[in-house]
Amino acid sequence: MFHAPALRSWISSSRSPIIMASKSKTHRLHQLSGTALQSIAKRPRTITTESYMKDAFANYAGYLNELNEKRERVVKSSRDITINSKKVIFQVHSRDNKEEVLKKAEADLEAVKDQYISRLVKELQGTDFWKLRRAYSPGVQEYVEAATFCKFCRTGTLLDLEELNAGLLPLSDPAIEPLQINVFDYLLGLADLTGELMRLAIGRISDGELEFAEKICRFSRDIYRELTLVVPLMDNNSDMKTKMDTMLQSVLKIENACLSVHVRGSEYTLLGSSDPSFLMGVPDMQS
Amino acid sequence: MKSAFRNAVALRTLPHYHFINPHFHSLPRFSVAAVSSPPSSLVSPSKPETFRFRRRSSPLRVRYSSMTGGETDAPASMEKQFEDFRVKLDEAGSLRERIRAVVNEIESITRLMHASLLHVHQSRPLSEVLEKPKAQVDGLKELYGRLAEVLCECPGEYYRFHNDWRSETQTVVSLLAFMHWLETGKLLMHTEAEEKLGMNQAEFALDIEDYLIGLCFLSNEMPRYVVNQVLAGNYDCPRKVLRFLTDLHAAFRMLNLRNDFLRKKFDSLKYDLKRVEEVYYDMKIRHLANGDSAEDNGTQGQS
Repeated sequence: MFHAPALRSWISSSRSPIIMASKSKTHRLHQLSGTALQSIAKRPRTITTESYMKDAFANYAGYLNELNEKRERVVKSSRDITINSKKVIFQVHSRDNKEEVLKKAEADLEAVKDQYISRLVKELQGTDFWKLRRAYSPGVQEYVEAATFCKFCRTGTLLDLEELNAGLLPLSDPAIEPLQINVFDYLLGLADLTGELMRLAIGRISDGELEFAEKICRFSRDIYRELTLVVPLMDNNSDMKTKMDTMLQSVLKIENACLSVHVRGSEYTLLGSSDPSFLMGVPDMQS
Repeated sequence: MKSAFRNAVALRTLPHYHFINPHFHSLPRFSVAAVSSPPSSLVSPSKPETFRFRRRSSPLRVRYSSMTGGETDAPASMEKQFEDFRVKLDEAGSLRERIRAVVNEIESITRLMHASLLHVHQSRPLSEVLEKPKAQVDGLKELYGRLAEVLCECPGEYYRFHNDWRSETQTVVSLLAFMHWLETGKLLMHTEAEEKLGMNQAEFALDIEDYLIGLCFLSNEMPRYVVNQVLAGNYDCPRKVLRFLTDLHAAFRMLNLRNDFLRKKFDSLKYDLKRVEEVYYDMKIRHLANGDSAEDNGTQGQS
């Protein structure tokens, strides 16, 4: 991916006789230009470009290469975290054998932490947490979503950031700065959680677990309310603001689903849990 | 956002929906505030009697009481956590304001320096042109020192706030590099730039990408400089600038760039080089260039 642009610019600028084979190792580059120097004797002038510039830029090239390669690796591990966290979330929605499923999901969540987050920790090597945040943020957000989701299903409470981060400490070598989820990724992940809670509530209602659905209702309301006070204070909060809109919709859907059940309470037990028609009051406007 | 409200209303909820979230009237930032005025045509109370009756019964009490704030729904731990967040984010917010204050000062000095340097296009003597800007470099150094102090209060968060001073720093680098070139004909090195600005501390250094982008801004000034120098009769200038830009361009080509802002700036460097070449070529073929020696055939023969 790095090679193409440098190569293209070489081809388009046909003036330089120096063959810049765009390799990533800078010292090899030096050797190359050295041999080119000797072979193209008829134009010594253009090749005696200032060596102080070349030396300096060789360093800059090394720095950029390292940074970009690190960034790539971080992105890749972030993607792995995303995919596997999504799998955990998906499992929890399962309607059969809920207790077993939850246990397995929790085990898988631990595996995400032990395998994929630890990989991220390794790639970051205790530095550039803020510099490379854009590279790993999506993965971390998804993980936060999965972890808080499982915790809620298990205990009905919110997994807080401190506890979540305490769990990550053992992954890092004590000699280096540990990877800790920052407040922004936590809040962004929390915003996505309400979407999943909405799906869960609707699912549980059709399984007849009304109390749990009401619990979800109160919980999501609380999260939403707390977030409204915090979001205006966040730096660069435009994506968070969009999430707040979506979150409100999820909360509305949950509330209305609960309402339908309350209003039709007695009718519901007559209809039985297999009849989805009682959910008529909650059309899925935006699937 | 209207769609969310339309959903809510179409779900046959109470027409008084807008009372539910009183917060939003005071938080205009959220488009949810638009929820406050429902178009009455969308309200379809097909069972008004039932709803009004239900409203007084217990199942809905929870919602109303949380509206009046009579119940604390959220468990204490959740409240505490978010309270902590608010405090921390508030602190970060005020830190950011202080950073912006320093950056605004940097920006005004930069503007003054730039305006002084523009005299170079009107072929004032170099020493005169450079006098004021050079004096202002110390002011810049002091400001960057203050920036470093502010950042010292949040160790490790240089890049968290980086975007707040990024573009101003790039401009500063380009001005310093231009001044350096005018004086010495050489390229300002990254370490030299850091020293001039006092940015050579462990926690507070000059980001290399900012430095490189600054160099590209420098090259953007070159074509205009060359044109104006030729107009003023300085026929030696194009050759010197051409050599400089060719070297710079060749040096930049050593970098493996991804498709980001730096890459775009590097592309503009190419066009600057091309433009300077054209000026030089025009002069050359009319034998206007000084030092028209055999060795210059090398550079000229490529286009």
